[in-house]
Amino acid sequence: MTGNRLRRLFSAIQVALILVATFVMLVPIAWIFLAAFKTHVDVYQLKLFFRPTLENFGTVFDAPFLLGAKLFNSTIVALVTVMLAIPIATMAAYSFSRFHLRGETAMLVTILATQFVPAVIIVLPFFVMFRDIGLLDTRVGLIVVNLAIVMPFAIWMIKGFIDGIPLDTEEAAMVDGSSRVQMIRNIVLPMAAPGILTAGIFCFIIAWNEFLFALILTNKNAVTLPIGLALFKAEEGDLWNLLSAAGIIIMLPMFILALLIRKYFVQGMTMGAVR
Amino acid sequence: MAEVILRNLTKRWGDVVGVDDQSLHIRDREFLVLLGPSGCGKTTTMRMIAGLEEPTSGEVWIGDRMVNQDLPKDRDVAMVFQNYGLYPHMSIFDNIAYPLRVRHVTKDEIRPRVEDAARKVELVEFLDRRPRALSGGQRQRVALARAIVRTPKVFLMDEPLSNLDAKLRVLMRAELKHLSHELMTTTVYVTHDQVEAMTLADRVAVMKDGIIQQLGTPDDIYNDPANMFVAGFIGSPAMNLIKGSIKDGDFVTAGGRRLTPTGGKENHSVVLGVRADDIRISDPGEGRLDVTIYAFENTGDSTFLTVQWGTQRIIARGGRHLRKEQGDVVSITMDPDHLYLFDPGSGSRIRN
Amino acid sequence: MGRAWVRPPRVRDNILKYLLVAPAVVVVAVTAIWPLIEAARLSFTVGRLNRPGSLEQYLGWENYVWAVMEEPAFWNSVWVTAAYTFLTVALTTILALALALLLAPGGRLRSGVQTLLILPFAMSPALIGVSFRFMFNPEFGLFDAFFGALIPPLANVSWLADPILAFAVCIMADVWGWIPFLTLVLIGGLISVPRETLEAAQIDGANGWRVFRDVTLPQLAPVLAVVVILKSIFSLKTFDQIFMLTNGGPGTATQTLSHYIYFNGMKYGQIGFAASVAWLMVIPMIFLTYAYAKLVFRKDQAQ
Repeated sequence: MTGNRLRRLFSAIQVALILVATFVMLVPIAWIFLAAFKTHVDVYQLKLFFRPTLENFGTVFDAPFLLGAKLFNSTIVALVTVMLAIPIATMAAYSFSRFHLRGETAMLVTILATQFVPAVIIVLPFFVMFRDIGLLDTRVGLIVVNLAIVMPFAIWMIKGFIDGIPLDTEEAAMVDGSSRVQMIRNIVLPMAAPGILTAGIFCFIIAWNEFLFALILTNKNAVTLPIGLALFKAEEGDLWNLLSAAGIIIMLPMFILALLIRKYFVQGMTMGAVR
Repeated sequence: MAEVILRNLTKRWGDVVGVDDQSLHIRDREFLVLLGPSGCGKTTTMRMIAGLEEPTSGEVWIGDRMVNQDLPKDRDVAMVFQNYGLYPHMSIFDNIAYPLRVRHVTKDEIRPRVEDAARKVELVEFLDRRPRALSGGQRQRVALARAIVRTPKVFLMDEPLSNLDAKLRVLMRAELKHLSHELMTTTVYVTHDQVEAMTLADRVAVMKDGIIQQLGTPDDIYNDPANMFVAGFIGSPAMNLIKGSIKDGDFVTAGGRRLTPTGGKENHSVVLGVRADDIRISDPGEGRLDVTIYAFENTGDSTFLTVQWGTQRIIARGGRHLRKEQGDVVSITMDPDHLYLFDPGSGSRIRN
Repeated sequence: MGRAWVRPPRVRDNILKYLLVAPAVVVVAVTAIWPLIEAARLSFTVGRLNRPGSLEQYLGWENYVWAVMEEPAFWNSVWVTAAYTFLTVALTTILALALALLLAPGGRLRSGVQTLLILPFAMSPALIGVSFRFMFNPEFGLFDAFFGALIPPLANVSWLADPILAFAVCIMADVWGWIPFLTLVLIGGLISVPRETLEAAQIDGANGWRVFRDVTLPQLAPVLAVVVILKSIFSLKTFDQIFMLTNGGPGTATQTLSHYIYFNGMKYGQIGFAASVAWLMVIPMIFLTYAYAKLVFRKDQAQ
């Protein structure tokens, strides 16, 4: 009996700890959500109950903030980055997964390693080059640099998915009469499609949240959403209600995308070191 | 329809030898089984015929064409894979139709042919489903249907029954046998299961370490094994192999017991092979040698006695109604007409 | 009906496989390898953004010598980064392991929380920085109010104006942002520990702690190694949160290496010097990457 009661107490403590952890995890997010609906008066108080307003979401799109342009930039940059990276990565991933290439390990390690190069070292030469060829403050420039952080993830993630496709199926297709290219088109791509889509979403999130490149390489025309956050600093301090509204615009779409691919998030981030 | 000829076929990966300079002539319409333990090179041999593996040296001929340089798709072979290799994103119909589609068979022709193939393997009502909605046995049939939907020169089957449970395997084995009689297409079949080999094959090639140990009819390899490996591999339970010598025409065990007359030359070191079926069991004193029962097993339709003398143990089959206890003493006598002698060094058969 | 090939098909596959990787190799070479090499070149030049020609004016090792010998600010950022890395790695790993142990058993509550764990991780680090600045505002910050109520001396402290407290806030923001991801990785590791080994240990008479120490932890070790290395790499690179949260301040109390490089390169225009510091920063990365690659490939080979 006492053993049973002890066990119940123990599991109650566990549940309590889980709830506390969840609370701590969600509070900063929840607070931003609340602040976004507060007026510029309410936001400077620790109010939990207030008259909500949608005004902030209008203000951030007006002059002088013009968040719409940043939203457009972020969308274009992330989308084009992914649309370039994913086909290229898929081709490479298939080859790495299915063939023995000369220098394969060296290539894979290099690709893995580039992921760990500090972004700040990548951006310095690009800044100099873009200044010389007029790509500073352009979406094109930002897309090129974003490829650097997205490609390794995409290659490793998609390779992981293709590794999981049984070789039998491909060989069956070859014996059934497909050429290598037909087989990739008819068999491999449809089977890997969910994985490729997952990798695409993952890379989209990374490109969308990217900060340092955009900070250094843009200043007006190509500014993205995370950099746009810096706009909401007025003489009298931060405009928290507007910052929060902008924050929601940045994070809400990513929350939805992340939930779509939550099963693969870990795999993607660890490049297959943990499955 | 075609014959398949392998000429001095070798496959090596670095220092590892998969198939070692083997030649094999598979006749037109023949059902040939490649049999052996895992890693013996049987699957590699088949994959080289399919074109999925490139030979290190040697030639593969299908019909009158040397196909070494041909891609799998141009060899006109059909293959059934161990894990079936079905296309999970396609319906059963599309799975079966795929070999026709990539060969640009017209739509009007595809439907009747797919339905015909599906009928042969009794799958007609499942054509709209996806592979994952089918049971293991049904998936197996889809793989078969996909192979027979066109009329390839050669069927290749890579352990097609090994993923099925024991009961289903027996059923599918019979269906395969029936189908192969109906189709009369040259078939190469890889398995490690000797019962499949014995029941399905016109001829069996027993392989070990990349070398074909014996090529012959099921009768040949069972009753006339070429060497100790084949003798020990074929048959269940495995053939008893007893070390000893030949003195005055008798086999004498290492412990000095005169076991059975064998004839043959004096030889201080031989291995005697005898199947459990060829050992007669009688009451103590009535047979050739009195032995103790180490274990008594009743399978229902017969009994197996593992008997021991000294450190030597052998297994004998007893009658269905024989009942003994562990520790009982019985007498054994070997049938002198069905004994095999092998050289313990090379393993090769010693024929008198 | 065999078609005659111009080239043997195997050769075609052999060409195809390199054609397939070629674009990726080019992209990685241009976007990641070239900047590394170019940064190395720049690190040996005078490299002033506002002085034309200085990007080709070579100095030898002078930038490196200057950083190491003459720049207390460089060493300050080294120590800040080292302390930051050590503390965030240790705290995140320990807390994440505890949370993973709590959540691994599954069930409705636990898997619901696991799903929520994705959210902070999908949040832009810059936004995390902003939100923590908000939470620790001395007048209306929620965490400020919470800590103030809990520890009275901290009531109405200006968190981000105090070197130690600002550093602490940076650590908290980082740990908050990374615990979810590490927890998810560790849950994956915990789930893959075979049940039978745990059950065997229980039947052998081990109590909960002994089962954890003798059976779970050793089998979790490879995943823990992945987590620690990965987190170390990301901690060393930290920039976004710091920039938004304290911008390195007060003074240089929270100036990490990335921030120091950014400041020297972009604000002061000393791109040659910044590049040399960036390359110094690559050194620990090489060791960590090597260790990580070994783990990844051991996993690859095991399959």
